[in-house]
Amino acid sequence: MKTAARRLFLENLGANNPVFAQVLGICSTLAVTNRVRNTVVMSLGVIFTLTAANLIVSLLRRHIPARVRMMSEVLIIATFVLLFDILLRAFSPEISRQLGPYVGLIITNCIIMGRAEAFALSHPPGLSVLDGLSSGLGYAYVLLLIATIREILGAGTFMEMRVLGEGWMPWTLLAMAPGAFFVLALLVWILKGWVLARPAVEGSPS
Amino acid sequence: MLNEFLLGVGIVTGLNAFLALLLVLAERTLSHYGPCTLTINDEKKLVVPGGRDLLSTLKSEGLFIPSACGGRGSCGLCKVTVLDGGDPLATEIPWLKPEEIARHVRLACQVRIKHDLRLQLPREWFAIRQFQATVVSIRDLTHDIKELRLRLVDPPEIEFQAGQFIQLEVPPYELTDEPVYRAYSISSPPSNRREIELEIRYVPNGLCTTWVHRHLNVGDPVTFNGPYGQFVLKPGNRPIIAIAGGSGMAPLKAIFLDMAEKGMARSVRYFFGARSRRDLFLVEEMKALETRIPGFQFIPALSSPLPEDRWEGETGLITDVAARHVPDASEAEAYLCGSSFLIKAAIAMLTERGMPRERIYFDDFG
Amino acid sequence: MNPFAAWFALFFAAVFTQNILLTNYLGMCPFLGASREIKTSFGLGAAVVFVMTFTTPLNWILYHRLLVPLGLEYLSLIVFICLIAAFTQLIEIVIERVSDALYASLGIFLPLITVNCAILGASLFMVARSYTFLQTTAYGFGGGLGWMLAILAMAGIRQRIAKNRLPRGLEGAGIALIIAGLMAMAFTGFTGITAPF
Repeated sequence: MKTAARRLFLENLGANNPVFAQVLGICSTLAVTNRVRNTVVMSLGVIFTLTAANLIVSLLRRHIPARVRMMSEVLIIATFVLLFDILLRAFSPEISRQLGPYVGLIITNCIIMGRAEAFALSHPPGLSVLDGLSSGLGYAYVLLLIATIREILGAGTFMEMRVLGEGWMPWTLLAMAPGAFFVLALLVWILKGWVLARPAVEGSPS
Repeated sequence: MLNEFLLGVGIVTGLNAFLALLLVLAERTLSHYGPCTLTINDEKKLVVPGGRDLLSTLKSEGLFIPSACGGRGSCGLCKVTVLDGGDPLATEIPWLKPEEIARHVRLACQVRIKHDLRLQLPREWFAIRQFQATVVSIRDLTHDIKELRLRLVDPPEIEFQAGQFIQLEVPPYELTDEPVYRAYSISSPPSNRREIELEIRYVPNGLCTTWVHRHLNVGDPVTFNGPYGQFVLKPGNRPIIAIAGGSGMAPLKAIFLDMAEKGMARSVRYFFGARSRRDLFLVEEMKALETRIPGFQFIPALSSPLPEDRWEGETGLITDVAARHVPDASEAEAYLCGSSFLIKAAIAMLTERGMPRERIYFDDFG
Repeated sequence: MNPFAAWFALFFAAVFTQNILLTNYLGMCPFLGASREIKTSFGLGAAVVFVMTFTTPLNWILYHRLLVPLGLEYLSLIVFICLIAAFTQLIEIVIERVSDALYASLGIFLPLITVNCAILGASLFMVARSYTFLQTTAYGFGGGLGWMLAILAMAGIRQRIAKNRLPRGLEGAGIALIIAGLMAMAFTGFTGITAPF
């Protein structure tokens, strides 16, 4: 069981990464990665919701009737997102304002619904929590990578602190919508084309 | 404070209850398709409640359609001919050949029963059931083949023809999260209706074989369904050439034991191939058949005998051994069972020696 | 100003200058994943148009006539998503009953729509921008149409390049993102156009 857990954890970070391998959760990826600070907050929200929702769905998995399955999952996810949204508005109103409706849109983040359906519904709570955590972390580090590139080159700052000199002409395109698409495309290209494309070393198929 | 809390919870609960009610009503009224009549093969009529998919509906009626994925459209095994069910869905197209689509073949798990349907099912499927059984013995036949003996619990008896196979259900365990099904030939004769024997060869990382060899114990419950298959003895009097390797012994053992019990006399030459002596098994039992079936000859051969085997029998690949013994195969019929490689080589050898393709029957173990 | 023109101006904005997909990044997952063929994209787009056109005004009613009078605006997230989920499931049941052909082309996409961020996003933006009911109808319909336009364009481009050899690693999501980026750049040109409100 331990090796299965470890395999799951590593897979969700790498070969089965929700963002560049499964291509899920893109909407928020593009919207918030213009600032590293916002990305950190968004990642926390996603990790929190993923883990909590996976836990609850897994605990209830034998009791959810088939017809209302989607509505139940959505309700569970929405509750946690709402919780996060209100907490954020209370403790960090400035960031909440900047993120705007995108915090609420964590509900529709395909990763969360996807993991609930594909994993939490058919696995025990312990593994589901691990799955949620690792998928969330897999999402987080990819986003932080993109955000770092976009903020440093697009605005000359990192976490709101100026890192590039005053004379730096910001690459405004990176701070806008197209920039986000291009940076993500570049990342996917590098990761899928080189890092993940190593020939399989495991045993031959049965 | 409390008021606000109650109000909030109340509104959300009320709204959801209302929406859920709407959905339930919609499903009751709109998805309620009433009883539908399924006409099978233009003779058998079944009245079933409409609205569900064909696969699970037939299963509830006791009719088992082969399926390995549990109705999710990911195995393509549940093909049935539905004469008036409309066009196949996008989920079915990858599994259907164009000529099958022209013949109205559909995947039973993707067909929703909304009105009366006319189906065509192979006759053998009517005998297929799901069985619960208990393991009564696990015996080593060779270093990597185990003989599994199951006693039937519910239903307590099975009727089948010698040479048919069942689908054994592997429950979720270390190597798989969901139940999977694997086919194994029944190696015991049909006269024994309460117990069946299977021969299972260990394959590294094989989902079912690992379960049987490493996790299954005497007394454990197992589930299987069947019987399936058309690899059975054909009526007639033609001399038989049988070629098998490894666990390919299983269906042939059932067929030959059945022949012996029924007192049949027929010319049979059974060529069984293995690598070295430790891969041979049931040699005495097969040799004993030579006295029980007039005309039966058992010819084992080793392809790579070790010096300590002190083997004095035939050597070489089993198809080559058979080729030496059968210069002319034009009058005989053949029963082949084993790996794809063996089957292909044997077919080539037999056709070369004059056997028409239609008289070569085989069970390909992959 | 002529209310007709005002409605149309907002509608036009929702489709082009404020395209919910290319300007607000909403509804990306099916956009990248399911946009290889024009036929499937059309079905998906039509489903989005249908759902967005109806759920956004319905959510407006729920928000302004139920939540606001009771001071429960903070619950809007849950209420909106539940309505969208229930609505899509209801429509799926209706379509399945009414027409097999329609179900085959549209119905199978409906479960995906529930989690389409564009649908929920439209409702959330409607609240954030304090639209009136009439404005909401323009925004809902326009937003859906704009989304469908974007996905059809994407599918058209992808079908065109389907036979081209791409660098390994760019196939699939990679090239789709680059196309999306270029489309987004093109649509940025629209922001110069101001609606004569």
